[in-house]
Formats: sequence, structure tokens, C-alpha cells
Amino acid sequence: MNAFDYRAPRTLDEALASLQEYGDDARVIAGGTALVTMMRQRLVQPRCVVSLRDVEGLGRIEARNGAVRLGALVTHREAETSPLLQERLPVLAETFRRVGTIRIRNMATVGGALAHADPNQDPPVTLIALDASVEIQRAGGRRELPIAAFFRDYYEPALEPGELVTAVTVPLLPPASGASFIKFLPRTADDYATVAVAVTVTLEPDGKRCREARIALGSVATTPLRGRAAEALLAGARLDESLVKSVGEAAKGEVDPLDDHRGSAAYKREMSAVMVGRALTQAWARARGAAREAE
Amino acid sequence: MTFTQECTIPVERARLWDLLMDVPTVGRCVPGVETIEAVNARAFRGGLKVQVGPIRLLLEGTITVEEADREAWRARMRAEANDRRLGGGIRARMSLALSPAEVGTRVQIDTDLAVLGKIGEFGQPVIKKKADALLEEFARNLRSTLTS
Repeated sequence: MNAFDYRAPRTLDEALASLQEYGDDARVIAGGTALVTMMRQRLVQPRCVVSLRDVEGLGRIEARNGAVRLGALVTHREAETSPLLQERLPVLAETFRRVGTIRIRNMATVGGALAHADPNQDPPVTLIALDASVEIQRAGGRRELPIAAFFRDYYEPALEPGELVTAVTVPLLPPASGASFIKFLPRTADDYATVAVAVTVTLEPDGKRCREARIALGSVATTPLRGRAAEALLAGARLDESLVKSVGEAAKGEVDPLDDHRGSAAYKREMSAVMVGRALTQAWARARGAAREAE
Repeated sequence: MTFTQECTIPVERARLWDLLMDVPTVGRCVPGVETIEAVNARAFRGGLKVQVGPIRLLLEGTITVEEADREAWRARMRAEANDRRLGGGIRARMSLALSPAEVGTRVQIDTDLAVLGKIGEFGQPVIKKKADALLEEFARNLRSTLTS
């Protein structure tokens, strides 16, 4: 590992000032699960590492105006075990529970997982299906971005030098909704997915037809992505086998997987259809359950 | 890893060929090329900057034109470059073929690429996509060089 300056600011403003000072040569460290590995391999050699460890106010999970807001420093483990998240957005708590091993989940943070922009990570998939938005700050400014627009390319988030992810806000699902996250792991339980899929379904008050659905996929392109063509087939539709099949087929057309040791591009494309079908069926069943409960 | 890429440049074949064989000039159309200079008539030394996410590479090395057959409109090149900081590099064999297109000239590039060291471990899955993006921008730069 190369020598570098180390800053451990106590406030967000100090952190942002350090980022502004070093610009492109600074890297933010939170849990360190991604950055330290890359620095040890000398793949990344920042001039300055800005630690968020002592920054106050970024580690809260709170309910806010029909949404749950997770601070950037919330760890995966905290998200997974949060009673608030388990109650309001169980699919998101479940997604965090499925990440890596417990040792990683104790360190890896919500904001870090976004800023790293690794297309194989799980939380971005569910966050896209839940239509979350990312809160970004820089010295003297703040902006919010729909999460689907946050992932630009392979390991490239929509962050400019000097910017920092400070939170992610996740709207709650309307009544008569269900959600599902499915991760296809042909190798080991703590591996990255070969294909990961999250689906949310909201039914009409009759509990039969779909009002709105969102489908997101991970590990099948250079970024996690939203399957809009597949979603479009669902609006107003009733669930049956042929619909599940055609939605899966549409999703296949939207992915652009990379060949790697988790499967060939062709295999991942086929599995995308299968996993979308399964996640859709599960989310729909949960939405029907929620609709019945509401009656 | 081998892959084939194509692009079409709206100029006639002879003019495109002459430009492509002028390596220092054409090198400046390659996005990320920092320096390029002739070692001799067939070999050139240069540096190429590539960024993949947070990883910035400076590949320094040589490109050698091994064969340039203007009658057959084919050329073969060999490139070897290393990133000294990261430890690792690339070895590439490329063949270039020009054929007439509906408008202008079609360029086909066949590449046999080996990516060595840590760069390979991280970048392997996206090398083809990066190469496609590079070619697209190169073709755009080439078109504007030829039309300006």
C-alpha cells in the first residue's frame, strides 16, 4: 500500500472541505470493505483518504414522510436488524441480510455500497425496485438523484469529485403491495450473485390486476438496472403463467451480462428470465396477501 | 481474449489507409493517448491513460507495425504496454482490414488481447466493453480529423 494523507473529520462540513481540497485524488472510507482491498492491491492509490468514522449524524435509520431514510454510515447489519426496516420495508432488511458474510455486513455501509457502484452488489437492486433516491452533498450544496440514475458505468457512480453520498431515502410501498428479492447463487452462499432480481408489485383495490410494478436486476450488466420493458407488460394485467413467461422474456432483452466465472453472458441472460419470473410470482403473492388483509 | 470490432469512416479507402499508417497522427485520435513518438519507421513508443471506475491506468509501451500491405488493404500490429505502478500490462496483436462500404470505408479490427497481472483480474469482464467505447470515440475523432 502506498503512503497517503489521512483525515478523520468530526463533522460533515469538515469532510466535504477535505474532499474539495483533494478533489479527484481523495477517496472516502467508511467500512473499508471495498476500498482497503483495492488499496492493498494498489488498484487505487489515493493521495488522501477521508474517513467518515467520526462524522456525526450519518448513522441513523428514521421514518420520514411515508419513507425510510437510511444514513450513509448505517451498516448492512444495522439495516438488516432494524425493527423499523423489518416492519416497514421487510424486503430491504432481507436484502441486506443476504449480503456476503456477517463480518462484511458489520463493516460495510449503506452509502459505501452505493458509492462503490459494483454491479454485483445486492442492495442497489432492491433499492432500484423500491424507487429510492440518493442524497448527495458537496461543500456548499446538496442534491438528490433517483437511484436508477446513480449508476453510470462499471464501478462509476454519478458522483463528482468533492461529492459524498449522505443518505438514501426509500418510499414505503402503497397498500396492496408485495416485494421480493431473489439472488441466484450457484457457488457459495456468500458469493456475489450470478443474477439478482428485485420486484415490487402493487395491485388494484380488487386485488387482481396490477396497478404498478418495478423490476430491477443486478450482476447482469455493467450497472444494476431497471427492467422497464418488462415492467410495462404488467400494468393493468392479471398474473398467469404466460404473463410470467413474457415478462421474463422481456427482461432478457434488457440485460447485457458480462462473461465471468459466475457464468457466461448467455447463461446469465437465460437465468435473468427465470429469476424475474420467480421474483414476480413471489411479489405478486405477497401483494395479494396484503390486499386480502386490507379487506 | 479475441474480439472483432468494426466501424465505418466516410472517406475513400486510399486516403484512410494513408492516415491509419501515419501512427503518430492516428495515435492522437485514440482517446487517452498522452504521448506517441517514433522509435523507427515501424515502431512507436507512447502512453495511454485508461480509467475503469476508480482505477486509473497509465499504459506505457510500444506499438510495432509488423506488416502493412497496401495492395490487400491489410495491416498487422503488435502492442505491448505496462503500468509501472500497478504491475501488469497488456499484450495485443491486432489485424486491420479495410473494405469499401456503401459510404466510405469499413474498418475491421481483429484483436487478440492478453491482460496481465492485477489489471486483468479486475478488468477482464469489462475489457471488451471498454474497447468498444474506445473504438467508438476513436472513429468519431478520426471522422472529424478527416473532415476538418
